[in-house]
Amino acid sequence: MKGIAKGLGVTLRGLTTKKVTHNYPDEPLNMPDRFRGVQHFIPELCIVCNQCARICPTECITLTGKPNPDPEKRVKLIDTFDINFEICILCDLCTEVCPTEAIVMTNNFELATYSRDDLMKDKDWLSDNNTNIRSENSRNLSPAAAKGGAK
Amino acid sequence: MGVSATITMIFAAVLMLLIVLGFVTYAIYFERKVLGWMQLRIGPNRTGPFGLLQSVADVFKLLIKEDTIPSKADRALFILAPAIAFVPSFAVIATLPFGENLYFADLNVGLLYYGALSSISTMGIILGGWASNNKYSLLGGMRSAAQMISYEVPLILSMVGVILMSGSLNLRVIVEGQEGWFWQWNLFPQIIAFGVFIIAAISELNRTPFDLPEAESELVAGYHVEYSGFRFAFFMLAEYTYMFAVSALTTVLFLGGWHAPAPFLEFIPGFIWFVLKFAGCVFFLFWIRASMPRIRVDQLMGLAWKVLLPIALVNIFLTAFVKMLLQ
Amino acid sequence: MALRTEELLLNVGPQHPSTHGVFRIVVKLDGEVIREATPVMGYLHRGTEKLAEDLNYTQIIPYTDRMDYVSAMTNNYVLCHTVEKMMELEVPERAEYLRLIVMELQRIASHLVWWGTYLLDIGAMSPFLYAFRDREKIIELFNELCGARLTYFYMRVGGVKWDAPEGWLQKVKEFVPYMRSKLKEYDSLMSGNEIFLSRIKGVGAYDAETAIAYGLSGANLRCTGVKWDLRKDRPYGIYNKFDFDVPVGKNGDCYDRYLVRLAEIEQSLRIIEQALDDFPGNGPIMGKAPRVIRPPEGETYTAIESPRGEIGCYIVSRGKDKPFRLKFRRPSFVNLQILPKLLVGETMTNLITILGAIDIVVGEVDG
Repeated sequence: MKGIAKGLGVTLRGLTTKKVTHNYPDEPLNMPDRFRGVQHFIPELCIVCNQCARICPTECITLTGKPNPDPEKRVKLIDTFDINFEICILCDLCTEVCPTEAIVMTNNFELATYSRDDLMKDKDWLSDNNTNIRSENSRNLSPAAAKGGAK
Repeated sequence: MGVSATITMIFAAVLMLLIVLGFVTYAIYFERKVLGWMQLRIGPNRTGPFGLLQSVADVFKLLIKEDTIPSKADRALFILAPAIAFVPSFAVIATLPFGENLYFADLNVGLLYYGALSSISTMGIILGGWASNNKYSLLGGMRSAAQMISYEVPLILSMVGVILMSGSLNLRVIVEGQEGWFWQWNLFPQIIAFGVFIIAAISELNRTPFDLPEAESELVAGYHVEYSGFRFAFFMLAEYTYMFAVSALTTVLFLGGWHAPAPFLEFIPGFIWFVLKFAGCVFFLFWIRASMPRIRVDQLMGLAWKVLLPIALVNIFLTAFVKMLLQ
Repeated sequence: MALRTEELLLNVGPQHPSTHGVFRIVVKLDGEVIREATPVMGYLHRGTEKLAEDLNYTQIIPYTDRMDYVSAMTNNYVLCHTVEKMMELEVPERAEYLRLIVMELQRIASHLVWWGTYLLDIGAMSPFLYAFRDREKIIELFNELCGARLTYFYMRVGGVKWDAPEGWLQKVKEFVPYMRSKLKEYDSLMSGNEIFLSRIKGVGAYDAETAIAYGLSGANLRCTGVKWDLRKDRPYGIYNKFDFDVPVGKNGDCYDRYLVRLAEIEQSLRIIEQALDDFPGNGPIMGKAPRVIRPPEGETYTAIESPRGEIGCYIVSRGKDKPFRLKFRRPSFVNLQILPKLLVGETMTNLITILGAIDIVVGEVDG
């Protein structure tokens, strides 16, 4: 009987302990800075090197480039950039290898949509997703980008 | 009996039914809230202010569900089983005295009436298990019936001690015998019987730790697996109405009914004391549910026949012996 | 006239609240007693090992997170450790300490999940929430450290990805006494409960020879009295620097497994305390790993002690940046092999009790 009585005591004390429920939809859930959320894409910085598409473990990034209209510059411009969030595992390898930090992660995690087609996010959506950007992103910054202020 | 008396009677019965239904709705709500608070979370709080409309939403959902009856099931028994489970639980409330003048029927054999009618619900469960034409629900129904019948015996025997002390089966007389200070309630002289009664009552209610028939994580599903919608709601209603009846009975038999703990507090109406003690019993049932694991079926039977029954018998002999000595 | 009885074939189906995932047991019942039980696995098979043949080593690490999703750090570690052994890479000290602290915290979190869900199967509802409240603290620590709550992808070949942020070590230091006091609370909540004890004492017992013959590991082996823990007997990383005990049981029943796992939480707390005291100052967290990880030709098997038992990684490399064959020796899969033997003669209720005490995670069983 003693064990039962002790157990009853613990639950009774639980009545008055502080509750751990988070009032989620009404209060936003703030993730720490390093949180790997949905990506943010900056088209102006992308040099179409294809590293992100190559490193992705699930091959969810597809991108195409177009030749630069400016004949002086050799760098291609990004034309389409799609991430398929049905298979993206938010592992952040793409942000780790990007030499210009064109793709960075945010702390947003709310991706729920009403249709699976809406989960294929294109360049414009990713570009608009610019809140709560993570502070540390690439491990592979090219010297030009590191100096030139990719941040 | 005159027409006006009949109409008053029917009106009072309907009122009681509404009170019981209201109790059931809010007992479910409070159970979820209390269970949540004991488990470090808040219970329902989104439907309605403070989640008060949660049970209403749940009952509404059950009512609008499709009424399925398995094709090979025995239709008449299938439809009858929930009613047989529910009606006795409501009928026993007739003899329970809630206050000095608040009762429906002052039967001289009130306690016997209670014991007899509460056994009829077991039939409803067996019928429900049988009529579903499902081997698992039959197994579950049989197990549940075995549990309820086995625990009837210690339940009634534990009440015999109280009957010996007050010398009557009339529930009002039993309460009146507990007048005075709180140590004159039947709880203290009959503490052994109280222990047996509580355990047997929780088992009769099919609540944790004896909720094997309704265990969600057990494999062989319970007797109500084929019931959906309104009929399932009836079984749940029967369970909570029983909780009402058992808590009221505990208050009447052991906790002094409508009497205050001390004579100088008698100015507070008896009904309030009854409600307070009744709420304490119901809270205790919720508390036990939050804290205990489930007992296995073989240990369940062993507990009833090998432990509770002898203790209840010993209690009867002790009570009779002491009563003889004091005379 | 003899009573004719029939055997009932029952499916403890893929969807069941107590099988910890999609796992099926086909059970032949005679009344209430089980005559034969056959586990059917594969409902969660995702082809990790086959996919690994087409990915380079860094890309495989996120897949390992998802195998045994309850203890992802140990899975990450076994792969990184095997590749580091093949390439003879040295891991800097700070990275080793971070790895150790993180793996021991993961062990505590995994045992908390086990405790909560096991008691939920037995019928007690509240311990589940108490365990998850404490696990939430560990998960939040991990969230701050590596940015994810369940699939960490924290370790890399040659070190770890992130260094501990400001104040993180202090938070871990505060967590240790908090968890100790909670262990006491768990003891008063459930470990002495008579109903609980009568449910699990003497259930599902086996002896040491059977355990070794079936290849069991982890708490399933130690509950029979065999003192075998890979952290002590085949030390890896910096485990040989720390002082901790290996709890063993006596009878090999479910109760002993319960006690062994709770005692392991206490030992993990001891290791974390010692590691925090010894924590090295600022240093690199990534060793000199080449840009492209190419282990030399050959094969290696390395095993570590995960919360479920011995997890091993076997790599056959042909000198390329992708493995030729990658195989994981998954403890839940091996520990499950004893289930048909243990279940013969038990009742259905005890099936749930025994299955819960083996502590399987179906993601690991199927791979």
